[in-house]
Amino acid sequence: MRRGLDIVMGCVAGGCLLACLTISTGLVWSIARRGWGALSFSFFTEQIALVGASGGILWNLVGTTVLLSTAFLACAPLAVSLALMERVWLRSESMKKALRLGLYTANGLPSIVFGLFGFLVFVQWCGWGKSWLAGGLVLAMSMLPTVTLVVLERMAAIPQRYIAAATGLGLSQSQVAWAVLLKQSWGGLISGSLLGLARAAGETAPIMFTATIFAGVTFPKGVVENPVLTLPYHIFILAQDSFAAGVETKMWGTALVLLGLVFSMSVAALPSRLYLHEESDV
Amino acid sequence: MTRVLSWLLSALAIGAFGFLLCVFLFQSGPVWQSEGTRYITGVSWFYRQDVFGALSLIYGSLAVTAVALLLAGPLGLGAAVFLSEYLPQKARLALKIPLELLAGIPSVVFGLLGIALLRDWVYRTFAKFDPLSGDTLLTAGILLAVMILPTMVSLCDDALRSVSGAQRQAARALGLTRAETIWNIVLPQASRGIASAFLLSVGRALGETVAVFLVIGRQDNNLPHPWYSPAPLLEAGQTLTTKLGGAETNIAFGDPLHWAAIMGLGVLLLVLTAGATCLGTLGRRRHA
Amino acid sequence: MRIQATMKLFLPLFFSVLSLTSISAAPLKINGSTTVNLPVAEAAEILRTEQKMEIQVDTQGGSAGGISMLGDGLVQMGMSSKPVSEDDRSKYPKCDFRPIHIGEDAVALIVSKDVWENGVHTLNKTQLKDIYEGRVKNWKDVGGERAQRIAFFNKEPGRGTWEVFVHWLYGSPKAAPQVNFPEVGGNEETRSKVASTPGALSQLSASWADGKSVFALALVGEDGVPVPPESQNIATHKYPLSRPLFVLTNGEPSGGAKTMVDFLLGERGQALVQKHGYLPLKALHP
Repeated sequence: MRRGLDIVMGCVAGGCLLACLTISTGLVWSIARRGWGALSFSFFTEQIALVGASGGILWNLVGTTVLLSTAFLACAPLAVSLALMERVWLRSESMKKALRLGLYTANGLPSIVFGLFGFLVFVQWCGWGKSWLAGGLVLAMSMLPTVTLVVLERMAAIPQRYIAAATGLGLSQSQVAWAVLLKQSWGGLISGSLLGLARAAGETAPIMFTATIFAGVTFPKGVVENPVLTLPYHIFILAQDSFAAGVETKMWGTALVLLGLVFSMSVAALPSRLYLHEESDV
Repeated sequence: MTRVLSWLLSALAIGAFGFLLCVFLFQSGPVWQSEGTRYITGVSWFYRQDVFGALSLIYGSLAVTAVALLLAGPLGLGAAVFLSEYLPQKARLALKIPLELLAGIPSVVFGLLGIALLRDWVYRTFAKFDPLSGDTLLTAGILLAVMILPTMVSLCDDALRSVSGAQRQAARALGLTRAETIWNIVLPQASRGIASAFLLSVGRALGETVAVFLVIGRQDNNLPHPWYSPAPLLEAGQTLTTKLGGAETNIAFGDPLHWAAIMGLGVLLLVLTAGATCLGTLGRRRHA
Repeated sequence: MRIQATMKLFLPLFFSVLSLTSISAAPLKINGSTTVNLPVAEAAEILRTEQKMEIQVDTQGGSAGGISMLGDGLVQMGMSSKPVSEDDRSKYPKCDFRPIHIGEDAVALIVSKDVWENGVHTLNKTQLKDIYEGRVKNWKDVGGERAQRIAFFNKEPGRGTWEVFVHWLYGSPKAAPQVNFPEVGGNEETRSKVASTPGALSQLSASWADGKSVFALALVGEDGVPVPPESQNIATHKYPLSRPLFVLTNGEPSGGAKTMVDFLLGERGQALVQKHGYLPLKALHP
């Protein structure tokens, strides 16, 4: 009886895992199967033609890259500062706790909220119209908590004796921050950013009101009224408004490219993340 | 210098989030003034007649989240149990990669998959309940379940592995089978962590926009009668996020009351997600 | 010292970048109806290559989005598949809306294949009102041979298609009753949902009713004669849901907007209008 239950338990749990893996690979497969036909060299080097039915997604790729680079540049210094605050400058334990709790909570905020905020503040009040900068800043806000938390985790994993040694050598707090904390945790900044960017790359809700349009722009030349094309919005529009048979393949092809982009970023971040997780928990 | 800089930048970051909160609160002001608590308890939303009752939207959000949790919860927990209790370290790490793949599928692509695979499946499978179409709250819930599955597995896995190995060994040494060890030792000890995994997934599910938008049917004012009736699950509905991401946001801007009603939905969404995430985080941290 | 030198170097650079952002040639921005978008977006592609013009096209919020963004000054040209109403004009008193008629379309009432095969080929105004207000929920009550539930998909608010539809039924969008139906947005979304749902009915641009996956119903007027949304009937406005397609400008079109308008009204533009299934202007005034 007990033996039997033991086996049943293992089977049920294994079945759950198998189901998860099947769903995951099955979905990726069905995207790949539908989108594979669209992929070709020219798909990456041409611009949209015939309202999405022909041509490629060059400027959508460029636009998504512009947004992500902006988000990274705006987010990284803030994330590092916030992490340093928690590690070095904040003295009171309750302040630190409040900061951490705030970060975790902010990490769970829905991206559409950031989109509406960006629409109101950047697009309307600052008068930028739809602009790559607005989109980049909105994405930066949405990924800031994730990046900060990963950097924090990495800083917390630095052995205390490194800091003690540096302080013992007579280094000031700022010097310790630069020489030990930042130097030892820049990998965390990279992997945290990759993680945040992977999520940001696929976001539609925050950028559709702030940064992206369907067609007709190339590389932004200024800030005001300079939107970009992006991969996720392209898919979103085609899903609702494609009009010719050729569009469907192009749409799934775009989805496949986006998936590849997101996946390569999250896999690049994976080793260091897993390593950290395993080490800090055991 | 470093110190000043990090104070300044941190203040900027925190200020931005505080500003976000203020913007939503102040912009939604008019609707609270004009509708009062009816804004939350009101059952109808007709913007042309300036009637703004968000109850059906709150219901929609909670209903799809509940469906997602009911499906993804047991499945994710089971998978996490197998990952952390049955598999050797190397295999665990290897199997986490395909799960990471699932986590990496962008929301809009999930929406496409929902249109292509899930809508017709729901329509055929539940044919005997006679749904009007494949766009239902249930469809959205199932899609969300798949979307939160990776979060669920990975957080549950964390919770399970935070139970110390010594406890497991002690239990096994006392003659308990692996299943008994899991039920009597590991799961009870990890229960707080698991609860917070559920809460954090709730936060994620509540805030999802684009994927839900494409399969939910976007029908206003769908509420159950009586309140526990499951019938609306097989009808089209609307959530806080699909309303925010939809056509009304564009129409509302420029009309103070309508815009306030839209921003009010943002406030409700913020409160719900922040509440779930905050509770989940507190549970997780005290446990770890 | 060094800081000053750096400042001297960077400040002018900084300001020149700033000014660059403000003087770069203003692109022509267009937003609005997804129905009008098809010919306009293709015209934009041609003008971009031939005239080296910068034209941005988007379809956020449908016709209402086009009108409101033109009214707010966010775009220089709107696209609309319904006439600009007095309400629109009073909401944006500062904007001098100039609708430019570029072609003619109709709102078709489309059904899925099984409804068509069930024998429903026509509807009249009363029957549509009954369906819209929820009094009739079965195709059997409006001409179907066998019982079959009506799955009505309503076009979302702000879409020109919806406004034209309720304008015909009720006189104005404000007078339309409060209803709750699943909503659809873009034309492709409408087409694919109707095609894949048994018993489905929705409003859609007539050019999208292909007669293979979705079928356009004929409307029965007071004289009892069914009028299908065919070119002839649309051109003569015999089909009651005929609607003009517009691009809108604030005041007389000028600059890039004028180039676009001239192109759309010219021979090649009109050919694009026809290519996407709409009636060109010359079909209206033979």
